[in-house]
Amino acid sequence: MTRRKGKGDGTRPPAAKSARRSPRAASVPPPSTPAGATETVLDAAPMERPSDPDVGARIRELEARLDKMIDAHARERESGAELEPVATRAELRPPMSSRPPPPEPDGMFDTARELLSTDFYLRKWGRLGLRNRSEDVDEFGYDPVYEQKVLPFFDFLYDRYFRVEAHGAERVPADGRCLLVANHSGTLPFDGMMLRLAVRREHPQHRDVRWLAEDAIFHFPFLGSFSNRLGAVRACQENAERLLDHGALVASFPEGMKGIGKLFKDRYRLQRFGRGGFVKLCLRTRTPVVPVAIVGGEETNPMLSRVEYLTKALGIPYLPVTPTFPLLGPLGLLPAPTKWKIVFGDPVDLEGYGAEAADDEILVGRLAEAVRREIQGMLDRMVTERRSVWFG
Amino acid sequence: MSRSRKLAPPAGASSATARARVVAVTGATGFLGSNLIGSLEEDDRIGRVVAIDVGATPTAGRKTRSYDVDLTQPTAEARVAEILAAERVDAVAHLAFLASPTHATAWAHELESVGTMHVTVAARHAQVRKLLLWSQTWLYGAHPSNPNFLTEKHPLRAPRNEPYFADKVEAEEQARKFGQRSPGAVVTILRTAPILGPTVSNAVTSYLARRLVPTMMGFDPLVQFLHEVDAIAALHLALLRDVPGTFNIVGDGVLPLSTVIKLAGRVAIPIPHPVARTVAALGWVAQLVEAPPSFLKYLRFLCVADGQRAREALGFTPAYTSREALLDFVSAQRLRDVKLLTETHA
Repeated sequence: MTRRKGKGDGTRPPAAKSARRSPRAASVPPPSTPAGATETVLDAAPMERPSDPDVGARIRELEARLDKMIDAHARERESGAELEPVATRAELRPPMSSRPPPPEPDGMFDTARELLSTDFYLRKWGRLGLRNRSEDVDEFGYDPVYEQKVLPFFDFLYDRYFRVEAHGAERVPADGRCLLVANHSGTLPFDGMMLRLAVRREHPQHRDVRWLAEDAIFHFPFLGSFSNRLGAVRACQENAERLLDHGALVASFPEGMKGIGKLFKDRYRLQRFGRGGFVKLCLRTRTPVVPVAIVGGEETNPMLSRVEYLTKALGIPYLPVTPTFPLLGPLGLLPAPTKWKIVFGDPVDLEGYGAEAADDEILVGRLAEAVRREIQGMLDRMVTERRSVWFG
Repeated sequence: MSRSRKLAPPAGASSATARARVVAVTGATGFLGSNLIGSLEEDDRIGRVVAIDVGATPTAGRKTRSYDVDLTQPTAEARVAEILAAERVDAVAHLAFLASPTHATAWAHELESVGTMHVTVAARHAQVRKLLLWSQTWLYGAHPSNPNFLTEKHPLRAPRNEPYFADKVEAEEQARKFGQRSPGAVVTILRTAPILGPTVSNAVTSYLARRLVPTMMGFDPLVQFLHEVDAIAALHLALLRDVPGTFNIVGDGVLPLSTVIKLAGRVAIPIPHPVARTVAALGWVAQLVEAPPSFLKYLRFLCVADGQRAREALGFTPAYTSREALLDFVSAQRLRDVKLLTETHA
C-alpha cells in the first residue's frame, strides 16, 4: 500500500501533510502573502503541546520571525520594480511545482516513525527527481523552474565573466511579435542566452527572448536538451512562424553554422545570411526586424582551424582547433573572459511590402543584404571604437 | 471506461439520415473497438453496430451484432462485403490495427495492410459512403528536421523498413485510394498521439511499466499523449460528423521524456546513442524489450503533432492534457505494480 503514494509524485506528500495538520493550523491567522503559506505549516508543528513553556517561547519567536519575513517580502515588492517580472513568473508557476520544505518533525517518535516508513524514502526520491524541473513545460520545451535553477551561473557569466554591456534595448518593441537578427559568435553558443539576459534586464518591459538554434546545436547530446529547457527552439520556418504568431520576441542568427564555425581571422565579418529565410518569415508574418550586433563573443574561443575529417562519424560538423582546445582537453573549451557589448539597432519595418513580397526572391535577397549590411556597419563601428578585447 | 462524455450534438446534423445510422466496427475486440462499441451503444443516433472481429466483443449490447471474420484470411473480402451489404451499413470504422509491435511481422502485414485492402474493397462493393480509419502520429516519424508541431500536411516519414509503421502507412494509402475511387464517400483518418490511460495497453504503456526505462543519453525530446477517453470520444465524434480528411488527435501540452519517466516513478537508464541500436536489436531478438530498434529515434527526436485542425474542422477538444493522461495512467500502473490491480486489458 505504501507504494501507492510512492515514487515519483514528490509534489503530493507535502500538500497531504499540511492537510492533515490543517485543523490545528487553522487557529493561526492566515498570512496575506503567498510566501506565508509555507510558514503556516512550519509554525503549526510546535502548537502541539502549548503547555510546555519552552515550546511557547519558540512559538512566539517563530511568529516574530514570520512577521518579519512577511514585512521584508512586502517591502521587496514595493521597492524593486525590476524584481517584478521574476516575482510574477514565480507566481505563474503551477502551485504543484512550488514545493514547501517538509515540516520539522516535532518529536523523537515522529522522527523515528518517519524514518522507518518506506513512504518517507519514496517521497524523498520523488522529490529529488523533480527538484529542479517543473511538471509542465511550455509548448516549445521551456522550463521556467529549471531556468531559475541555472540562472545564477548565467548571471555570473553576464555580470562578472563577460561583463556584458547592452545598449539600445529600448528600441525593441514593447510588445507584439519582433525578430532580433544578430551575428553568431563563439565556438560555444553563449550568445543566445546572453542576448536573452540582456533583453530581460535592460528592456523596459523585460521581455523574454526565444532564440532559434541550428540543428547541430539543438540535437547535440546534452547541450541540445539543456538549451531547449532554457528557451532555445529549433530553427525552422514552422517554429518561428508559430512563435511569432503568439506574439513572441524571437532571436535568430541567420549566419547559422557558418557563423559559429568562423575562423579567427574572419571574426566580425558576417557570413551569408542563409537564403533570406528570416526576411521571408518577416514579410509573411508582418514582423519588424531589429538588427543586433554582439561584439566580444567571437574572441571567446578563437578558432584557428576546423578539422572536418572523420567528424561526421562523431555526429559533429567539425572539430574546432583553438589555442587551447584539443591541447588541454575539455578544459580548453572554457571561453576566454572577453568584454561583451550588445547593441540593438533601429527596427527595420517591412510592413510596406505586403505578404506577397515573400515570393519575390530578388527583393528578399536585397532586404536580407540590407539587414546584413546594417549589422556589419554596427559591428565595424563597435570593433574600431573598442580599445581592448578584454576591457572594452 | 463507462465514463460517458458529452458529445456535442452535430450542429445541423450534417447529412445524418432520417433513420439511425448503422456502423460497422472492425477490430471490435481490441481496446479502441470494444470501447467505441460501448460508447456507440449509448448513443441514440446510432441504430445498429456491426462488430467484425475474431471472437466476441465484451461490450456488445442490445444494438450490436457480432460477426466472426478473420481479416487475414483471403476470403475475408467477400465475407465483409456480404455483411456490409446485408446490414446496410452507413459507415465503417476500421480499427483492426496492432497497438504495439510484434515479432509476427508476416501476420501483422496480412492483418494491417492486406486487411485494410479487404475492408476498403468490401466497403466499395457494398457502397458504404463513409470510412473511418485509425492511424497514429508516430507515422510522421521522429526526425531531427521535424518542426515542433507537425501538421497534417507533413509527409509520413516513419522508417519504412519497420513493418509496424510500413503497414500502417500502406493502410492510410489504401483508405485514401478508397476515397478517390468511390465518389461521394467520406474518408476520415484520425492520427492519434500515443494513447495513455488507466486501462489501455500498448507499446508506450509497456515501456512505462518497466522499472528501469531505457533512454538515450543526452537526449530529452518532448512527447505528447492522448487520454484513452479522448481517443474514444474522437472516434465517436468522427463517426457522427461527416468531415473528410486527416486529423491529428492529440492531448494539449508536451512533456520532456525525462519528466515523464520521473512522474511515472521510474528510473531512466541512459544508453549512449551510438551503441543503442545494437543493444536494442539484441534485446528485441531476445524478446527482452517491447519495441524493435527503429523506435529508438522516438527517444531522440521530436514527433509531436498539432491538433489545431481537429479542433477547428472536426470540433474535437481533448478533455485531458498530456500530463493528465500520464498521471491517470500512472495511478493505475502503481496498483498494477503491487499486484492490486490484475485486470487483463484489451
